[in-house]
Amino acid sequence: MATEAGRAIQTPQAPQAVLGGLADDLATTCLALARRFWTGATMWCTAPAWPQHAHHVAVEFVHPVIMGKRALPAVAVTDPDPVSALRTLARQGDILVAVANADDRQVMAAMRRGRAWGLETVWIGAGPRPDAGAADHVLWLADEDPGRAPHVGSFVLIYHLLWELVHVCFEHPGLLRADDSCTDEVCVTCSDEGHLGEVVAIGRSAEATVRTATGPALIDTTLVAPVALGDLVLIHAGTAIELVEGAQT
Amino acid sequence: MSTTAHNGHSKGDAPTRGGTVGTPPGTRMPSGSDFLYPFIEADEDDAGPLLIDLAASARGKATDSGRLQAATIEAHRPALGALARAMADRFTAGGQLFAFGNGGSATDAASLAALFTHPPGPARPLPARSLVADEAVVTALGNDVGFELVFSRQVIAHARSGDMAVGLSTSGNSNNVIRAFGEAHRRGLLTVGLAGYEGGQMAACEDLDHCLVVRSDSVHRIQESQAALAFALWSEVQTALSADRAGAHQ
Repeated sequence: MATEAGRAIQTPQAPQAVLGGLADDLATTCLALARRFWTGATMWCTAPAWPQHAHHVAVEFVHPVIMGKRALPAVAVTDPDPVSALRTLARQGDILVAVANADDRQVMAAMRRGRAWGLETVWIGAGPRPDAGAADHVLWLADEDPGRAPHVGSFVLIYHLLWELVHVCFEHPGLLRADDSCTDEVCVTCSDEGHLGEVVAIGRSAEATVRTATGPALIDTTLVAPVALGDLVLIHAGTAIELVEGAQT
Repeated sequence: MSTTAHNGHSKGDAPTRGGTVGTPPGTRMPSGSDFLYPFIEADEDDAGPLLIDLAASARGKATDSGRLQAATIEAHRPALGALARAMADRFTAGGQLFAFGNGGSATDAASLAALFTHPPGPARPLPARSLVADEAVVTALGNDVGFELVFSRQVIAHARSGDMAVGLSTSGNSNNVIRAFGEAHRRGLLTVGLAGYEGGQMAACEDLDHCLVVRSDSVHRIQESQAALAFALWSEVQTALSADRAGAHQ
């Protein structure tokens, strides 16, 4: 321990050396978050292993350090079961920010479910990265020791930058308007793309109502039956084609 | 484009609040110059240049943060060694650490306490806790005796002479933090303040045994360096305890 502790007091790892591509990730994340805030989003913050980080993110946005900056709705979720809490609290179009290691099972589940709930998801962490696509935005300090990163101010820097850059985006209202012109060459409905839904009601003859990013939908569950309330299913063309995650996980 | 987050009031520990009146969600926030140049920013439709600016701004701020962290630890290196030695002795004698602050500094106090109690790796867990953690206690005291006494009254209730009090305030002026130092000092606790700017009232506080100032006028950069400083202090305490154990086994 003496060796490790002795090393720790040396000059801290200079963030510019580790920011690298993370600066570009921060830029796109902040523009996306500013667009969500613009349309009335609430930002939900969770950090199951280090609740103080969730509180710090929330207070940053609610009570800005710079006078005159807009107070934005951000809330720390420190419930022992953040997935259940978020299911009830978060609304379509909201934001979910997590500060957690990649192996945090509650955050993994919240991020997956966030897809079905229509949330823009941001995952801040260090060390081994989450699986590709685990969140909409992964802000990762891959070169930092995940045991050390939560204590040395690395995450604090990341969410400070998140706040600072979101407010820069507000100075560009022309870029914040929702882009409602469909520029995709293939329509989602007609493509092979699947989307996630969470079962909220079970009907007769293998039908279920699911919560999806675009609102509730009635789907056919013949292929994955029986489904239970809370099941997360992959949906294609109005049919559940795979059970992604059971209700109890 | 204004990207600087310097100056302005410190969050949570400002003597007076800069109340920000938010535009109701879902409504468009007019920028001050819209009426003069209605077709410039409002009609901007290429996000490319903004994204480049944002990334450059992030890199610049991260560089500033890294330099300030390095300079802060360098400036306090001798003091940290002596402070850590004194803290290690108190922990060995059964002392515990109380951390406190307001707003972002409250969360940084919680981080500091968590680092001591749940350290990474094989380090020795040490008794430390945040005086902000219990909302029942904080709101009861705030409501009944005043917010300036929320920490000092807890010091009266819990502290013994061999304990340690670590208070964080970016401005160095948080009244409840200063009051807690006074109560702690009277009871024989080791008192440590982490401040920013020029140290504020903490710099001249006679109840403080150690005042560690992060010389910056950006609340964000101060908090990042305070975290680095807290980690360095914790590391030094662990080093001192390891040295004690090695000596005892010879």
